[in-house]
Amino acid sequence: MEKERISSIQMFLLLSGFLFGSTVILAPTTGAKNDAWLAIIIGGVGGIFLMWVYASIALLNPSKNLVDILQEKLGKVIGNIIGIMYAWYFIHLASLVLRDFGEFICTVTFPDTPMVVVIGVFAIVLLYAVNSGVEVLGRVSEVLMIIVPIVISIISISLINVHDLTAFLPVLENGMAPVLGAAFSFIAFPFGETVAFLMLFQHINKKEKLSKVVIVSAILSILIGIFVFFRDISVLGGDLMARSTFIPHITAMFIPGINVEPLIDLNLSIGGGIKIVVCIYAAAKALSQIAGISDYRKLTLAISTFCVVLSIWEYNNILELFNWAEKIWPLYSIPFQIVIPILLLLLSLRKKKVKKL
Amino acid sequence: MLMVIAIFTILIIYDFQKFIRKKEQARVFVINIFIMAASMTVSFLLAAGRRPYSPSQWVEALLNMIGVLK
Repeated sequence: MEKERISSIQMFLLLSGFLFGSTVILAPTTGAKNDAWLAIIIGGVGGIFLMWVYASIALLNPSKNLVDILQEKLGKVIGNIIGIMYAWYFIHLASLVLRDFGEFICTVTFPDTPMVVVIGVFAIVLLYAVNSGVEVLGRVSEVLMIIVPIVISIISISLINVHDLTAFLPVLENGMAPVLGAAFSFIAFPFGETVAFLMLFQHINKKEKLSKVVIVSAILSILIGIFVFFRDISVLGGDLMARSTFIPHITAMFIPGINVEPLIDLNLSIGGGIKIVVCIYAAAKALSQIAGISDYRKLTLAISTFCVVLSIWEYNNILELFNWAEKIWPLYSIPFQIVIPILLLLLSLRKKKVKKL
Repeated sequence: MLMVIAIFTILIIYDFQKFIRKKEQARVFVINIFIMAASMTVSFLLAAGRRPYSPSQWVEALLNMIGVLK
């Protein structure tokens, strides 16, 4: 096993960056319209539980990653098959975030640049980050993640004169069903996606702090989500917000006199970049482990190339991407994010009980 | 089409010369060739304007088939 170690602060920042990820431009709770804040709270509670499940699996199986745990609990053959499925899921997730990034940059910042160029250039930088290893990734997150709250603060403070604080009213105008649907989407994206961290948790140097790190980063993500929602709805109003494609971008356009668009690009590059790097690392590590290859770096170039191709291949246009991410992704993710992890937790708890007896 | 060939040639030469120099295991070659071949095939089809069914569409069709999606 690699002896790379990262501190709990670095793990916290990586998790926060991952959770922030493409939520910079995509709001998974828009389906709930004015009541999205309720969906964030309900989904956030579910998300904290899910992330606690992942942390508990890692704590019950110290020094093991997801593939080791799958092989140990489900046997070599079934474990390897599910491991390959997880590698595919991480590649799919990386390509989805790459496409989010490409769509945003090509729609807003560089409308004349072909999307494949934008995604390809971004992927080269991220490939370098993946090949640098987990320790470098942890240190980079320490440097970059500080920028994210600063950017959110700059945009929010600049909008202090432009708002209607009653815009989120009336509460539950359309009943509870849309709120619950949006809350479920919010559990799957972004909280459930942190299942990729089961390939990384073994690198934390103080294992006893893992649960705390996971829960604090989830709570921080919920608080940022609620804050950004109230900022956006108070500036845009419920109707415009429901019709907007990239909500924070439209919000930022209301700042009088200046264009802060590059700041949103910056936040997306940091959050989305961390998310893609973690996914490519998890996929390469899982595949190399299953195939018995000593170093995951031997597969990273091929996997990154495939992610770029997949991100272009997947969707014809942005509407298809949004529809898929909102309606199909949460259902597709259920086995990977909920069923298999809960099964692994139960099997890990049973083993612990048997050992005690 | 030429652009796709050029990019993949550069990527493959860059990766494989390292593997050959370090005398990597056969499985490293097999996995890399498989992933690169898949990427190149899809890229050719996309460049030719014949977009094949994507994995997202397969997933959607599967969920439709088992009745999860309406």
